Amino acid sequence: MSVLVVEEVRKSYHGETVVEAVRGVSFTLEAGDFVALMGPSGCGKSTLLHLCGAMDRPTSGNLTIAGIAPATLSDDELTRLRREKIGFVFQFFNLLPTLTVQENIALPLLLAGRAATEADRWAQVMAERVGLSARLNHYPQQLSGGEMQRAAIARAIIHSPALLIADEPTGNLDSDNGTRILQLLANLNRELRVTILMATHDARIAASARRLIRMRDGLIESIEEPATRPHEGTRKFSSKSS
Amino acid sequence: MRLFRQFILRQLMQERLRSAATILGIALGIAVIIAIQLTNASSLRGFATALETISGKTSLEIVGAGLGLDEMKLAGLGWLREYGQVSPVIEGDARAQVGSAAESLKVLGVDILRDRSLRDYRLMEYADRKREPSPTEFLYLLSDPHSIILTEKFARRYDLKVGSQITLTIGDKNESFTIRGLLRDEGPARTLDGSFALMDIAAAQWAFNRLGRLDRADIRLRDDANIDEAERQIAERLRQSGVEGLAVQRPARRGQQVEKMLAAFHFNLTALSYIALLVGLFLIYNTVSISVITRREEIGTLRALGATRRRILALFLAEAALLSLIGCTLGLLLGRLLAYGAVKLTATTVNALYIAMAAAVPALSLRHFILAFAVGLPLALLAALMPAIEATRVQPMTAMRGADRLESRFRLRRRYLIAPALLFMLAWWLAQRGPVAGLPLSGYAAAVAIVFGAAFLVPAVFYFFTRLSRRPLAFLFKVEGRLANSNLAGAIPRISISVAALAVSLAMMVAIAVMVGSFRETVIYWVSQTLKADLYLRPASRSNVTTEAVLSPEVVRAVTTHPQVAAVDAFRNFDVPYAGGLVTLGVGEFSVLLEYGNLMFKAPSDWRSVMREMIGRDEVVASESFAIRYQKKPGDTVNIPTPQGEHSFRIAGIYYDYSSDRGILVMQRATFERYFGPQPPTSLTIYLKPQADADAVRQEILNALGDRYRVFIYTNAALRNEVLRIFDSTFAITWALEVIAIFVAIAGVASTLLTLILERRRELAMLRLIGADRGQVRRMVVIEAAMLGGISQGIGLVVGLLLSLVLVYVINVQSFGWTIQFHLPVLFLLQSSALILIATALSGIWPARRASQLYVAEQIAEE
Repeated sequence: MSVLVVEEVRKSYHGETVVEAVRGVSFTLEAGDFVALMGPSGCGKSTLLHLCGAMDRPTSGNLTIAGIAPATLSDDELTRLRREKIGFVFQFFNLLPTLTVQENIALPLLLAGRAATEADRWAQVMAERVGLSARLNHYPQQLSGGEMQRAAIARAIIHSPALLIADEPTGNLDSDNGTRILQLLANLNRELRVTILMATHDARIAASARRLIRMRDGLIESIEEPATRPHEGTRKFSSKSS
Repeated sequence: MRLFRQFILRQLMQERLRSAATILGIALGIAVIIAIQLTNASSLRGFATALETISGKTSLEIVGAGLGLDEMKLAGLGWLREYGQVSPVIEGDARAQVGSAAESLKVLGVDILRDRSLRDYRLMEYADRKREPSPTEFLYLLSDPHSIILTEKFARRYDLKVGSQITLTIGDKNESFTIRGLLRDEGPARTLDGSFALMDIAAAQWAFNRLGRLDRADIRLRDDANIDEAERQIAERLRQSGVEGLAVQRPARRGQQVEKMLAAFHFNLTALSYIALLVGLFLIYNTVSISVITRREEIGTLRALGATRRRILALFLAEAALLSLIGCTLGLLLGRLLAYGAVKLTATTVNALYIAMAAAVPALSLRHFILAFAVGLPLALLAALMPAIEATRVQPMTAMRGADRLESRFRLRRRYLIAPALLFMLAWWLAQRGPVAGLPLSGYAAAVAIVFGAAFLVPAVFYFFTRLSRRPLAFLFKVEGRLANSNLAGAIPRISISVAALAVSLAMMVAIAVMVGSFRETVIYWVSQTLKADLYLRPASRSNVTTEAVLSPEVVRAVTTHPQVAAVDAFRNFDVPYAGGLVTLGVGEFSVLLEYGNLMFKAPSDWRSVMREMIGRDEVVASESFAIRYQKKPGDTVNIPTPQGEHSFRIAGIYYDYSSDRGILVMQRATFERYFGPQPPTSLTIYLKPQADADAVRQEILNALGDRYRVFIYTNAALRNEVLRIFDSTFAITWALEVIAIFVAIAGVASTLLTLILERRRELAMLRLIGADRGQVRRMVVIEAAMLGGISQGIGLVVGLLLSLVLVYVINVQSFGWTIQFHLPVLFLLQSSALILIATALSGIWPARRASQLYVAEQIAEE
């Protein structure tokens, strides 16, 4: 089953003038995909990412996430969709500064109403997975940028989301840490078959994905197929785009 | 200026609700202060203007010892005329009964021929309506002892005409008078809003049962006379003349005596009124904080574009100044409105315990404007200084990058514990000091030290509370509880000020509740111990303790001859000057008290033997408030002016009395009559025979007196209720002020939460993103609000108990001279704690809505 189906999706904002940020976009993500969304500032990739992350509803077109169409959902249903099916990683990590690493990671499970002991156990498992076992009781300010982003990734996947949305995940990191984060994402994609949609404006970072969607002026400019991608060995996970 | 308009004004306009709330907070704070100032002024002014308008051109007056002066003595002072015009005066209060309405009238009895040089009386109409009456014609108007002249204003109020009849209750008698003329609204006629009546002196002496007596003699000095010199000479000649018991003084002296009497009462109200302002200032702090916090990026941009730190500081201080100016202006107007309520609330107390006052609110004067702005503006700037300085610290680059976060974990530093400890020690030291100039200044200083100590302790309390409450909250409220706890733990420096503000007003409430509760219990006990008689009788016209209204012999006879009456203690009281103020001199029949009644003595303990021995001796018993105010103990002497000159009396004992804080000295009747001569009583304490029905006896006495006399007879139970009614009304104003302070403080908590939410809007958006639904966010914020309320009330309870100790054992004793037994109103404290918790939780609803409505994508997209 396709994790994400986007068909002729449009999004416009009505202020004093109407701004059409996304102007009819179509593509599909299958389970296990790792797709980079690339384009210059203002090309509409952030808006598209918000739509794919169920933060916002499209103005027109079809969009389904794990078979569910956000367009028809109420705010609370959207929340539930995000809570159950989507994980988020951002440029500025967005960890809650008043919570420890373990509490931050466990949060999505707690919000979903899972028992605290269970949430804490899973948080420990996830922390180990991203290499933060020694940092469980630290607060975000006590971590390096790379560590914060790893904690954010652990938080994003603790509830086994169908789709991981990553918005410039290395944008605030030095190149060493950036590389490590990309490797971590690639590993998660390969080993846990986490489906990833990652926005970036950096071609080198986009290169770690297995498929590349280029955007310009609210439209898809090109979708680069696996054949042209550097990670030839991982071709078996690739899928068709619409 | 342009930047201020663009950057500050537009924002204030956009955030209308918040701006309005802040302005309202300041306005309320200022309004309460102004209202109390006006209220205090109204009780003094009512008296002072009455004094002034009635005094007319009087520059000096000859007064007697408490009971006025003997007419014969004045006759021997013919030499007074060398100094100017002398006019003898009778001044008293009467109750006018017009239809169903009753009103207090100030009655002046004068010798009209002599008095017109001192006071202007102009009649509204006389004969052909074109001419003022000649002095003789004026005299003729009043020749009949049942003639009276009223004021135009009073007559208009009740639709009275010249020639019509009016019934006045004077003392215990109803008398009918014919209105002979109406005074124009000028001179003495303006007294007490026209509630003034003029009579001939002889008629007044008769009506007020003061035959052969004058209240005073007013003197208008010759135009070329020097007042100081004349006063000195007259005092000297009075001494030489051998006439005892007379003194010369200026009319203003009586005003000063009253002012002194009310000083403590007014001081305490004023002190209380500043609490509301204190709390209002926290709102300024919050508003400016919010405006700085929500606009860090913009401030960064301004800085990047070249705005200096000083300019940023000026911008935010100007915002505070603007809010404060509007708030102060509104506060002045609101204060005048509140004053009407406050005057109503205090009038009962002032009337019951001190002086008759006109319940009119004075107009706002320049002084009030200066007060409002001189208090409001600098304090507002001070409150805004901290957040404004924070604004200047915003770095251009970090703000632009949006990564500039506040420290979100709080470290408990040693100073958070040392500062409170030092302040509490200071409070302890201050509480041991005595009063300053009769006012409990060091007591209040101790209270302020406790308040600041508690405020400094808030971060530490918060720190420990959030550590201890983590698990219970997570258990009770699941993830919302966890988040609320960690949010507050991270925001301790931010919220401490608002929590301190709320805690301080709650502490004041607790302290006042404990103080009033203790006082009430003490009074109830005192009443149960000392009110032993079956019936209490007083003249109907007597509205307060200082009004001299006496009982007629017919009334006394009707009571003493009633077959069911076992004994009667005829009590007489009046004011005597003492140490620059006024104290009450009471006269009682100790033998009746010894046989039937009871007193609670502070020292010595065996009051019965003390009082038995006092009979016939020059001794008095002093009330506790007298003893504390004038620092007297048994065995000391007091000098009291008597018609036979000043005489010294030994204090035989100190007794508890909560009926008045003015100080009371009580003499045995025989002793009193030796110096003052026989005097009619002002009240009767009646003991009935066993098995007598008090209600029936009361009715029978009333029936026997008929329409001619008007007296109030209270049964024992009714008097107890009356005592508590006056007691409760005394503290009504206290509660009103407190409610305002708490209201403002809760508004402060709501605005603090809003600050926190705006500060954390990215985090909240993040929470929403990773799966928190609106309900969860709302619950989280409401739990935070309730935690703030709970902690505030917790601190408030502890600090309030400390403050109540200061109130009960220091301030109260120093202001009023009363010993109060400590009593904890547990039920009230429990109820109010629950109420505060609910109220603060509810106050979180608005910020909670704001939090849950944050638009997820928008906040995240800002990155």
